[in-house]
Amino acid sequence: MHTHPDDYIKPELMACCGAREITDGNIVIVGTGFPTMSANIAKYTNAPNATLMQESGVYDARPVRPALSVGDPCLNPGAAMIGGLVDVMGMFLQSGWVDVGFLSGSQVDKFGNINTTVIGDYEKPTSRLPGSGGANPIGSLAKKILIIALHDKRRLSERVDFITTPGYIDGPGSREKRGLPAGTGPGVIITNKAVLRFDDDTKEAYLATYHPDSSVDEVVSLTPWDLKVSDDVHETEPPREEELRVVREILDPFGMIKIYEGRGYV
Amino acid sequence: MPMKEAVQRYVIDGDFLFIGGYICRTPFAAVHEIIRQKKRDLTITRSNAADDFDMMIGAGVVKRFIGTFLSLGLYGLGRCYRRSIEKEIPHKIELEEYTNLSLPMMLMAGSMGMPFVPVKDMAGSDLLNVKSFMGEDKYKVIDSPFDGSPTVLVPALNPDVAIIHVQQADEMGNAQIWGIGGDCKVGANAAKKVIVSCERIVSREVIGKDPSRTIVPDFKVAAVVEEPFGAHPGYTPGFYDVDFSFGSLYQQASNTVEGFEEFLNEWVFDVEDRTAYVGHYIERFGYPTFKNLEAAFDFGYPVSYAY
Repeated sequence: MHTHPDDYIKPELMACCGAREITDGNIVIVGTGFPTMSANIAKYTNAPNATLMQESGVYDARPVRPALSVGDPCLNPGAAMIGGLVDVMGMFLQSGWVDVGFLSGSQVDKFGNINTTVIGDYEKPTSRLPGSGGANPIGSLAKKILIIALHDKRRLSERVDFITTPGYIDGPGSREKRGLPAGTGPGVIITNKAVLRFDDDTKEAYLATYHPDSSVDEVVSLTPWDLKVSDDVHETEPPREEELRVVREILDPFGMIKIYEGRGYV
Repeated sequence: MPMKEAVQRYVIDGDFLFIGGYICRTPFAAVHEIIRQKKRDLTITRSNAADDFDMMIGAGVVKRFIGTFLSLGLYGLGRCYRRSIEKEIPHKIELEEYTNLSLPMMLMAGSMGMPFVPVKDMAGSDLLNVKSFMGEDKYKVIDSPFDGSPTVLVPALNPDVAIIHVQQADEMGNAQIWGIGGDCKVGANAAKKVIVSCERIVSREVIGKDPSRTIVPDFKVAAVVEEPFGAHPGYTPGFYDVDFSFGSLYQQASNTVEGFEEFLNEWVFDVEDRTAYVGHYIERFGYPTFKNLEAAFDFGYPVSYAY
């Protein structure tokens, strides 16, 4: 049995949830901050032979502190290979080698579509967001997508304002019809309240586990669509002692993960 | 050649510019010179744009942006970018949006003289539902002539000028980098001419000691400018670190139009060139702060090309 210390913060729990989605030997493409932390926890726990890459051109980096962006200087020394975008996004991702892609979204809907482009109308947005960057190709082409999102009725939606990155688009068969590779798509949405997974038949996200300080009722009430609840819904396993040790002693000795606590995570 | 002269001679109002960098080796000295010379109506491109593109948009030198992303990273959304798109300050730029796969592939196609290139992303997303100045030429969807499957084609890009910052180059322009590449190599080689900004000019002999590092050959290069600290507040591997404090300074300044203008006055218009910029930096923050950005030395083993 694992021990579960109770002094963890929410971003640590979310990072651990992400880590547990990675299988040993996976090739993982990660974005800034959170995803990198998660994937590295996996490397030290359940998936020692997983390898990471960043879209900027880095494969198997060995950073001595958490990378603050996919272009972070700490990704350079010690990496196994450094090229550029065409190498990682073309030779590795587009050619089908990447098992897991890890994305965060300003707005995520029930089919796992992600919006990082605009809130409101595209031509006259209330808020202009950064855009796709690597998110669209990662969401289109990695075999399994992990999504990190904040759980409220603004960040989650029945339908995103703009599909920057396709999830299951309109439901079953949509990806295949648009020509996206078979066997790809979102696997899980990890929020600050719960873990949602996707129904094989409807491709809709449902509640799998709720975090220790939350409940089925709270999660359902914070979700803007008619959230289905798994028959075996249960509490999310809190961070294990070993996972926390990896975060605090090895990956993030200066506690930089705390910056995600104030603003959720992204 | 000084940056002032390189930008005067080779960047013309209305030009289409590729500007390299990925926080890593951002050609900031050139970006500041473009703003200082008040160039107009530029079209700019690169995957994953950051503070440098935000600054050019805020300064009003940009008409069009072929992009994938623009943010200040750790410091959030690009303030000038938002003001341009949301409030038309100083004017609304025209925006054509791709991704970090399709845009580098378009530059790669341009660099290789290919007319267009198939890509496997963007399908099923709203990126295919928004078109700006490229109109119907933004992309085409065809049935693959080989297996009939739906295939997205995107056009090659051939910028008028590419500006890149590299660790070292010789006087003729053979340019060498190490570290995160972004779309620098394909972007530079897609352009009709290249301005190379570098930390140091080295001899042709030094280039020849490790020629595999060269990403642009001299025959494509119009100007070589030696600009130590030229990527600040971005970084150059082996030379200096990212200046996170300066990133925060820019974020705070660019929160308002007035703050942004004061920033431009202090760091662009009131300094004559990069040397004066570095001088002002040291004056403002102290030599220890400047020195603190300097990279440690951790040389790799020298390679041998002998036979």
